[in-house]
Amino acid sequence: MFSSDYDPENITRILFRDFPTWMLIVFYIVAVIAIGVFLYGVWAQIRKYRRGVRSGAWTPFWPRFRNMVGTVLSHRTVKRRARMAGSMHAWIFYGFTLLFIGTSLITLDQDITGPLGFHFWYGWFYLVFGIVMDVAGVALIVGLLYMMYRRKWLALPKLDYTRPDREPGDPDYDRSGYRREDWAFLWTLIIIAITGFLLEASRVVWLQNEAIVWDVRWHAPVGTAIAYVMMGLGLGPEGGGDLRMGLWWFHGILALTFIALVPYTKVMHIFTTLGSLMARDPEGKRRMPSVDVDAEHIGVSHFSDFTDKYLLQFDACTKCGKCHEACPARAGDYPLSPRDLVLTLRELANDTQWKSAPPAEPVRVIGEGVNMVRPETLWSCRTCAACIEICPVGIEHLPMIVEMRRALVEEGEFDPMLQPTLRSLQKSGNSLGESKRKRPRWTRKLDFEIKDARKEPVDVLWYVGDYASFDPRSQKVTIAFARILNAAGVSFGILYEDEQTAGNDVRRVGEEGLFQALAEANIELLDSCEFKTIVTTDPHTYNTIKNEYPEFGGNYTIEHASMMLERLIREGKIPTPVELDYRVTFHDPCHLGRINGDVEPPRQVMGQLGLDLVELPRNRDNSFCCGAGGGRIWLGDPPDTKKPAELRAAEAAGIGGLDVLVVNCPKCLNMMEDGVKGTGNEDNFRVMELIELVEEAMGLSDDPAPDEDDETASETAASA
Amino acid sequence: MKILVTVKQVAALDDEFEMRDDGRDVDEDFFEEDLNEFDHYSVEEALLIKEAAGDDAEVVIVTVGDEDTDDALRTALAKGADRGIRVWDDSLADADGVAIARVLAKVVEREQPDMVFTGAQSSDFGSAVTGMALAGLMGWPHAAVVCALEYSPGDNTATLRRELEGGLEEIMTIRCPAVLSIQLGINEPRYASLRGIKQAKQKPVDELTLDDLGLSADSIAPASRVRRMYAPEKGQAELITGSAAEQASRLAEIIKELRGM
Repeated sequence: MFSSDYDPENITRILFRDFPTWMLIVFYIVAVIAIGVFLYGVWAQIRKYRRGVRSGAWTPFWPRFRNMVGTVLSHRTVKRRARMAGSMHAWIFYGFTLLFIGTSLITLDQDITGPLGFHFWYGWFYLVFGIVMDVAGVALIVGLLYMMYRRKWLALPKLDYTRPDREPGDPDYDRSGYRREDWAFLWTLIIIAITGFLLEASRVVWLQNEAIVWDVRWHAPVGTAIAYVMMGLGLGPEGGGDLRMGLWWFHGILALTFIALVPYTKVMHIFTTLGSLMARDPEGKRRMPSVDVDAEHIGVSHFSDFTDKYLLQFDACTKCGKCHEACPARAGDYPLSPRDLVLTLRELANDTQWKSAPPAEPVRVIGEGVNMVRPETLWSCRTCAACIEICPVGIEHLPMIVEMRRALVEEGEFDPMLQPTLRSLQKSGNSLGESKRKRPRWTRKLDFEIKDARKEPVDVLWYVGDYASFDPRSQKVTIAFARILNAAGVSFGILYEDEQTAGNDVRRVGEEGLFQALAEANIELLDSCEFKTIVTTDPHTYNTIKNEYPEFGGNYTIEHASMMLERLIREGKIPTPVELDYRVTFHDPCHLGRINGDVEPPRQVMGQLGLDLVELPRNRDNSFCCGAGGGRIWLGDPPDTKKPAELRAAEAAGIGGLDVLVVNCPKCLNMMEDGVKGTGNEDNFRVMELIELVEEAMGLSDDPAPDEDDETASETAASA
Repeated sequence: MKILVTVKQVAALDDEFEMRDDGRDVDEDFFEEDLNEFDHYSVEEALLIKEAAGDDAEVVIVTVGDEDTDDALRTALAKGADRGIRVWDDSLADADGVAIARVLAKVVEREQPDMVFTGAQSSDFGSAVTGMALAGLMGWPHAAVVCALEYSPGDNTATLRRELEGGLEEIMTIRCPAVLSIQLGINEPRYASLRGIKQAKQKPVDELTLDDLGLSADSIAPASRVRRMYAPEKGQAELITGSAAEQASRLAEIIKELRGM
């Protein structure tokens, strides 16, 4: 409190008090240099991003800006799956931001509005300002101390930056520079904050005899508390004055150095993450970037092929490791970590794109050289979108990977195992090397005829999909689904020989030309049929028809089988008389749960069937991929890797007394059955499709199927 | 400098099929057409030589077939070949390997390549005769089943390795120009993306008739003729499983059955 004896204009801090003129000049020169270095850095970084292809990712500006501000202020994405670290980051963020605003206000008062005759930093404003700054300083220091504790004592594996795609001894294997930078960042900030408080304290000691300062000392509560300690230790006004001068310079130079280094160090994330969050494509995990397949070349093989958005995102990465932790390829010791991929590209950009003139030759990003992305890294991806989902700053790793795969496919350079698959897809529209004619052969095992949607109108067009049509294990599920729909009296039909794969995996493997050809052919076929909705048991098909076909003019209402089953059971169209007394757990398909957010329908069905559902530790948006996606189901697993499906099966085995691991996707079924066998769990629990459980509850599954051996025998004879 | 690669569009049989009414071939509804597997390797080998020479060589793809075979031709062009030649006349419908070789010989005379590659055989008929006959007609050296090759454009000789029966291999030097029949596995063929295949439509393809080559229908009369094609009766096989005793009793049962006991 201050008495009304004082003129409020005198209740302030006199800046540069007792400074000789030369000191003032030196300070302003240093400040101008620091700001100049800062501005040059910002400009050079923007120049780097602007060498990319224009993406237009920041328009419309205001909705994106509002969205970004909301995300940043709430720290929603930073807190996700890391409550404590996220909250502490929020303390640092708010502490730092307030202190920065405070310092800027003083500069404004002193150097801009002051010379024009307008001052505002005095009186009540000054006093409230003091308290706010102290609270901000404490928040900043507490947050930084926690981060130091976290780095030093929690020793999180995700904060280890050694590259999984390099061997010890490779020049770019060790990233200890990043670790040193992290620590330098923490120490610099905390020293700036602490010296700020000491400076505040030394001023109180120094000016303790000036009533106008002393009377309002508690408006700098932390500084005053420290001042009492200093005085208790015998520091007098003169010593306080000397200390203040020394600390002033130390604090000031350190803070200016910090500002100058912002655009050159990890501190830049203050700005780059804002840009990245604004540019973030909310559809990025569902829909791969569209491209003109008639263009000269497609995909990304050189830096000049990246859009400005991706170039900025390389610099937005804060190395937090959330994607590193979530990635199934990383967990299985494949040479991929989404974080390290982004950092690799950042380093290569800094090696090659920093100079004032753009590089004379386009800089190739895929290859075996230092800081280049290795093809095997790109082929390790499952496109499960775990990385893009959890990235707190909106980096779109998955589309980057697909873009680079496109370039590799164009060059014809990839795993030889993938070639027969792609050639089969080109020739007959399926990935299993089967003829078109064979696609509907599973229907022979039914004792009723499925309508031919090409020839007659149906309510529901069932898009069966590749694995569901051809894979022997999945066929059982396909047959079960047909029986359920038939029993429920649904008017449904299929496309028989003319159905081709919807192309989700084709697109994600990078064969964009083939994907677009498939999409166009499928849309033409669908448009020639009469139906109300589409249903599919395959989440990959579901995702692509729902999210990627509209780009090619295919707009349909599509449901995943789980949604349809939930509705049919709820409406009483599917009676489930058989009680299923199973303890089950559920493996969310990436393309259903995380990518499309449809986590509830399968759980509701399990609830309707009365199953005892125990959740896996990683579920819903944090589900762990079975390893099949992005074309990986077509590729072999190198011997020194762990199959994601086996890691997942082990996770399920951790739930005691489990009867069934429920899956809801043909590819998950294929992978998880292997995973359960591979981990020796086949006697502990079974893998079943949700559809099979519904069939069992309906009492349909005991229907004798036509003898399979006879069928095989007749096929053999025919082909002999 | 020019390498000529002859390719064929082959039929890939479905596992259920019907014969044509005349009984001399499979009904075309029951197979899908594709570039001959072996030709992926011969095209790749030519492209590798071209690329190693800094693109200072032309790779020309030749096929004999109707317009449906453009797919195979374009697949080869999409991989990086420079241009294509397609020869067709309805009288070639029943052509055998020797007849095709007669046509190809005229193309070779016209193009004057430094080297001709063919696939070791076609994956549908498998006669492995076209390359050999072509070399014979041209009077050029020929090497069959080549599984490794050292050759640069302009060389007078090529060094190659051939697979022999009984697991043997031989290394030989061959005078150029020559006709080489390329074996599977000599390289890792690249993939032709669908986009690439579509864009290969831009590449020049000469469509020639027999007249253009100075041939008449009589001069390419096939040396052989298919009389009948059929699926032979197959013997039965059974995998006997179970314990040793169960297996033995099942075996005894089969023996009794076959002996009519």
